[in-house]
Amino acid sequence: MPTLSSYQAVAEPEEIRALTRLAARLKGRTFLHVNSTAAGGGVAEILHRLIALLLDVGVEARWAVIEGTQPFFEATKQIHNGLQGQEVTISPRQWTVHREVNDTNATRLSLEGDLVLIHDPQPAPLIRHRAGGRWVWRCHIDASHPYPDVWRKLEPYVTAYDAAIFSAAKFAQHLPIPQFVVPPSIDPLGEKNRELSDQEIREALESLHLDEDKPMLLQVSRFDRFKDPLGVIRAYRMVKKYHNCQLVLAGSGAADDPEGAEVLARVQEEAAGDPDIRALLLPPFSDRLINALQRSATVVLQKSIREGFGLTVAEALWKGKPVIGGAVGGIPMQIHHGVTGFLVHSAEGAAYRVRQVLHDPGLGRRLGAMGREHVRRNFLITRQARDYLALWAALERLDERVIHI
Amino acid sequence: MTQPFAFFECTSLLRPTGRQAQDLMQLLSLIREVEVGVIYHHTHQYYLKAAVEVPDYPNDFATWASESLEERALAEKLVSVDLFSYGSIEEIRRALIDTIQLYLQDNPVPRPARAGDAFFFNDSMTIVIDAGVIVEDLPAFAGALETVGSSSIYFHFFEARRRLGRSADDFSLWLEQGAGRADLARRIRRIDPYQYSLEGLRRELLAVVR
Repeated sequence: MPTLSSYQAVAEPEEIRALTRLAARLKGRTFLHVNSTAAGGGVAEILHRLIALLLDVGVEARWAVIEGTQPFFEATKQIHNGLQGQEVTISPRQWTVHREVNDTNATRLSLEGDLVLIHDPQPAPLIRHRAGGRWVWRCHIDASHPYPDVWRKLEPYVTAYDAAIFSAAKFAQHLPIPQFVVPPSIDPLGEKNRELSDQEIREALESLHLDEDKPMLLQVSRFDRFKDPLGVIRAYRMVKKYHNCQLVLAGSGAADDPEGAEVLARVQEEAAGDPDIRALLLPPFSDRLINALQRSATVVLQKSIREGFGLTVAEALWKGKPVIGGAVGGIPMQIHHGVTGFLVHSAEGAAYRVRQVLHDPGLGRRLGAMGREHVRRNFLITRQARDYLALWAALERLDERVIHI
Repeated sequence: MTQPFAFFECTSLLRPTGRQAQDLMQLLSLIREVEVGVIYHHTHQYYLKAAVEVPDYPNDFATWASESLEERALAEKLVSVDLFSYGSIEEIRRALIDTIQLYLQDNPVPRPARAGDAFFFNDSMTIVIDAGVIVEDLPAFAGALETVGSSSIYFHFFEARRRLGRSADDFSLWLEQGAGRADLARRIRRIDPYQYSLEGLRRELLAVVR
C-alpha cells in the first residue's frame, strides 16, 4: 500500500510538503469515509488508496461501506439518475427503503469520526444518525440540474450536513451550507496507472486476442447510457471508412448499478456482426487489464453526454494518450481543447477528431505529453489528500478567508 | 541587523457560490452583488491554477468574455483593467463594472453563453502553510526564492498585499525594512506582476535580488 514517500518521484514537492504539514496538526484524529460499494466505480477505487495514504501521514482514516438490498440499489440508481437531471419516478416506498436501509446500517456501523465524509446520495440519510464530529456530504456526480422531485426529497438530508463537496464548481447548487470544490484524482502508483512492462501488457491482453496491427479506439467506462457507448460505436463506424481500426468498449459492473446489464446488452446488439468491436464486461479488480488496454490504445474516448468527473480521462492522459471527450461534467477540467486533447459535442465531432489523430501521430503524442503533465499537476491522489486535509482546517474556521496553520 | 524572512506556501480551496451568469447583463449584475472575496478570486487566483498552457488572459472575467461570449474586444478591455493600480478589491470591482458598462454603450448586447458554459462565481479560502524556510540575508533569500513552491511567490506577492492588507508585497517590504535594501525594494515594486506567470515572476524577482 502507498506511503507518502513513494509519491515523491511524481508529485509536486510543494504538494507533498503541504500534505505533511496539514497532516501533522491532525495526527491521531479520526476521518471516516462512508460509501455504498467496496468495488467498482471511481469512488471505491480511490478510497482504497486514499485511506492507506492518510494512515501513512498519521491521520486515523477508515472506510465503511453500507449494505443494501436489491430494491435499495434500484432506488438509489434512480436517485443517481435524477440528480443528473433525468426524469425519473421514485415511489414513496422507494424513498422509505432509501431511509430505512440507512437506518439499519447506522445500527451496524460505527459512525464516529472527527470528520465524516459521506459519499454520494446512497448513504446521505446517515446524517440522521450523526453522533458528533463534522459531517460533510461529498457529491461525485453532476447535480447542477437535478430532477426537481428528486432534489426536493434529497435536499433535507444534504442541508443537514456541515458542508458539501462537489467535483467541479459548475456541479454546485445554491445551498444554505458551505460548499467546496475538490476534484477527484487518480493514483499514479496503483495497479490501474502504474508503469507496465511490454511483457505485462502482452500477458494482460493475451486472452482478448486483439489485433495488434490495427489502431485501437478505446472507451473505458461503466455500461451506462450517460457514457453514450452507442454514440462511440457510431463514431467508430465513421472512422472505419478511412482507417482499418478496432474499437474496444470496456467497463466494470458495479454492485450498485443494476442498469448496467441492460445497456451492455444494447451495445452487444449494436456491435453484432462486426468482429472489430469488442464489448468487454470486466470483473472488479481488473485494474491491470484496464491499465494494459489504455497503454495499448491509439486513441482514448470518453464520449459522455453527462458526467461526474470522468476519471478515465485522467487515467488515459496520465498514460500519455490523446483523449477525445464529451464537453460535459468534469471532462473540460481535464481536457483543454487542442492542448491536452479534444472536446467534442457529437459522434460526428468524435469521429473527426479520431481521424485527425490517426492521420497525424505526432499530434497525438503532443496532446498526450501535455495531458500527462496536466494530470501530474492537478489530478494525482496526493492533491486530493491535501485538499481533504485543507478542507478540514477550513471547516474549523469558516469565517476566515486566509487561514495560517 | 537583518531581520529573518519566513517563506510560506499556500493552497486554495474553491468555494462555489452557486450563482452563475449566462449572459453579460447577468455577469454585470452579479459582479455588483457578490462578496469581495469572489472578485478577488476571479481576478487574482488565476495564477494558482496549475495550467500547462500560458493563458491568453490572466483573469476569469476576460477569459469568459473571450471564450464563452466570443466578445474578444470586451476581453481586451477587461484584461486592460490595471489591477495593480487600484488600492482595494472594491476599486477593482468598480473598474470592472465601468468597463462592462462602457462596452455596452458602444456595442450591442452579446448573445448569451451556450448551455453549460455559464460563468460560475466562486469564492475561495487560502490555507497558508509554513514552507519551513527562514532566511536572514540576501544570498539565502535569493537561494530560497529559487526553490520554494510557486504558491509561495503567489502568496507573498498577491495574497499578502490584497487579502492581508499589507502596503506592498512581502518581498519588497522585507528588502526595505528587514534587509536595508530600499533600492531593491523599489525595483521589485516596479514589476507589473499581472504580466507574468508565477514562474516568470520568480525569474524577475531573482534577476533583481541576485
